[in-house]
Amino acid sequence: MLSNYVPILVLLVIAAAFAIGSVIMGSLVGPKRYNRAKLDAYECGIEPSPEPAGPHRFPVKFYLTAMLFIVFDIEIIFLYPWAVAFGSLGIFGLVEMVLFIATVFVAYAYVWRRGGLEWD
Amino acid sequence: MNAAILVQAAGEFTRTSGGEAATFWVLAPVAVLAALGMVLARSAVHGALLLVVNLFCLAVFYLLQDAPFLGFVQIIVYTGAIMVLFLFVLMLVGVDSADSLVETLRGQRMAAIVLGAGFAGLLVFPIGGVISGTKAAGLAAANNGGNIQAIARLLFTDYVFAFEIVSALLIIAAVGAMILAHRERAGGKITQKEMLRRRFAAGGPVTPVPGPGVYARPQAADVTPALPPASDDPGHPGDSGDSAGGDADSPHPVGAGKGAAR
Amino acid sequence: MSYPSSFGAPAVPPLAAAGDPDLSVFGGDPLWLILLKAVAVFAFLLLMTLFAIVFERKVVARMQQRVGPNRHGPKGWLQSLADGVKLMLKEDIIPVLADRPVFILAPVVSAIPAFLAFSVIPFGPEVSIFGHHTALQLADLPVAVLFVLSASSLGVYGLILSGWASGSTYPLLGSLRSAAQIISYEVAMGLSFVAVFLNSGTLSTSGIVAGQRHWWNVVLVPSFIIYCIAMVGETNRTPFDLPEAEGELVGGFHTEYSSIKFAFFFLAEYINTVTVSAVATTLFLGGWQPPPIPYFSHFDTGWFPVIWFVLKLLAFLFLFIWLRGTLPRLRYDQFMAFGWKVLIPVGLVWLLAVATFKVYRENVTDRTPWLIGFGIAVGILLIITLVDPGARKHAERLEAAERERTRNAPSLDRIPWPPPQPSSKSPSPPYGPGPNRPSSVIVAGGPRQES
Repeated sequence: MLSNYVPILVLLVIAAAFAIGSVIMGSLVGPKRYNRAKLDAYECGIEPSPEPAGPHRFPVKFYLTAMLFIVFDIEIIFLYPWAVAFGSLGIFGLVEMVLFIATVFVAYAYVWRRGGLEWD
Repeated sequence: MNAAILVQAAGEFTRTSGGEAATFWVLAPVAVLAALGMVLARSAVHGALLLVVNLFCLAVFYLLQDAPFLGFVQIIVYTGAIMVLFLFVLMLVGVDSADSLVETLRGQRMAAIVLGAGFAGLLVFPIGGVISGTKAAGLAAANNGGNIQAIARLLFTDYVFAFEIVSALLIIAAVGAMILAHRERAGGKITQKEMLRRRFAAGGPVTPVPGPGVYARPQAADVTPALPPASDDPGHPGDSGDSAGGDADSPHPVGAGKGAAR
Repeated sequence: MSYPSSFGAPAVPPLAAAGDPDLSVFGGDPLWLILLKAVAVFAFLLLMTLFAIVFERKVVARMQQRVGPNRHGPKGWLQSLADGVKLMLKEDIIPVLADRPVFILAPVVSAIPAFLAFSVIPFGPEVSIFGHHTALQLADLPVAVLFVLSASSLGVYGLILSGWASGSTYPLLGSLRSAAQIISYEVAMGLSFVAVFLNSGTLSTSGIVAGQRHWWNVVLVPSFIIYCIAMVGETNRTPFDLPEAEGELVGGFHTEYSSIKFAFFFLAEYINTVTVSAVATTLFLGGWQPPPIPYFSHFDTGWFPVIWFVLKLLAFLFLFIWLRGTLPRLRYDQFMAFGWKVLIPVGLVWLLAVATFKVYRENVTDRTPWLIGFGIAVGILLIITLVDPGARKHAERLEAAERERTRNAPSLDRIPWPPPQPSSKSPSPPYGPGPNRPSSVIVAGGPRQES
């Protein structure tokens, strides 16, 4: 069983060696010409804003998206073993999954209804 | 007590191959160090990253113990979804390396250490008590017919009630997130047409004001651009819209026509 | 185990899998063979990236009636290699405000999972390499598709970390956007797989390909379409390339990156494109199986299948480029609304439909009443869709709202033009040609003289 992971590990080592090696090479090979403007944050030529995120930070919207993603991710994780074993679960499996999806759908419908899926 | 179980387990399965042991001994210190680093890191994002490392090591441990489904679900759900949520939240509240390290709640560090130790004890002793009395069924029985099939068989027959409860938990998560993060908008969504109307009706400069260091004060196409006069201050022409009074600060020549009309 | 151990064996009934496919052919390779295959996969991905970049530039150029790169190498095919070498030799800039360790780590983190995801993609059936019998696939797991998904979920970290570590506004915005985009479309992608698993009864990629011997899973059309849309969203490519929307965000998460680190983001993006194409090929288009055309379908042993696989992969790559050459970029709110409000419900309904159909096919012997009932239900739905009772009411409401808004809103005629100036004194131009310049002689009277 574990021997199935060995090739993946080998590829991981090759990819990591390539990536890290190239990054090190790149920092060694390239020229180094100091210039203050170069080291500033790039904001299309105007003076960079002192704080990356600005005074208002971020729309809290992203939090909602991530939370919804977790909800659906967990639902999908349950769907996979169900789909694989569906042949032996039969009608019972279908009914319980319909119940599960319907319940999660309630949450989805609530969020949609309250405008949680709108971006502006 | 535990050593006896380990010996028994090793005797029963003789599956703790060299590779498995080696992986464990390499990754276990990494996991512990990452966990410690997570608590001690000064920057919140570094802490979150170390937590990702820790969760990843746990996933590899699951793989080592012939639970591939659990291992990859650990990566997908914990490192892929939950930690992304953490990072989002860290960015939402703002991440400065200058985050304040002053305790706002007095004595919370002591309380955290005590509670953490208590929780660890709570975890270790009941689990130790449980596994010392029972006999392991063995991986062959547990993974009969394939890892995923075995999980599905258990989850969708014996534990179907718990499985349905999970959906209720998910509802609570979604509703809680809505309550925390969603702000109801009064009225409908403003269309772009409407926004344009409002912008024009409000008066003042219609286009964005120029950035600092730009000399073109009026931004209309009907005004010929002019060089800054030598006498005028060349410093901040960007505030042409809201500078009150003064001939020198009223750059719109078209204003003359309007003034004469009134 | 119900699957025969060899891939060339007669087809397995796709609906009757009761256990994991036999993966014993994997994991038995000697070390030199594993090394050989790993290097081959690695080289394949690098070559595909180099190829895809030039291919994309050439095809897009043709679509835009240009010539495209034609200087470096024969007919310009070495252009991307030259670009790579040049990037390597460029100055490596790390901004002052950047978080150095994370800034350096981010491109590495985004590149490694991209490589790894390809290790479970089957290139072909079992062949003989130097007298050794082995499958043309680096590794297979009973949960191979989950492995691909977890690799893509680790790749998200590269984006988030690069944006955060840059210490700059545009990258931060871009990375947050791209992370939100990727996780949104990952849901749709995950849902589209479920119908495939229902059909094949396994998560192992070689098992899924073996199950498609007679019928490619592309017959699950809605799943295939959802996956195709989601894969474009996953890889941040046009029309979903909002994270790097040049007009708004300069370059998105990699704005501050230069030199080889920038090249690694580029590399990761193209490898991800190749990987999602390969996953689409494997799950929906039969992987290395030859097209079900009488003459061709004999070429399914030995090294021939690699040709089919690569051809299908190239077809998907061309699809990506075609989309880029054709479609403009979506607006962010439209894009997110499409992912959450269209793809996810459609995916859920479709997978339940597939499951219901499967149960129906297995459990119902007398089908006539069910078929009649199904027909009546579909008919009612169709009639409802065609008549659409709520539509008129909805349209009237929309119209009323729009009229209300127009009445309340200041009309264009009442908009003061030129915009009122806050200045109170007599407004004479401070500089310029003087009072008799043409633009100042707007006639008083009409509220609006110009267009």
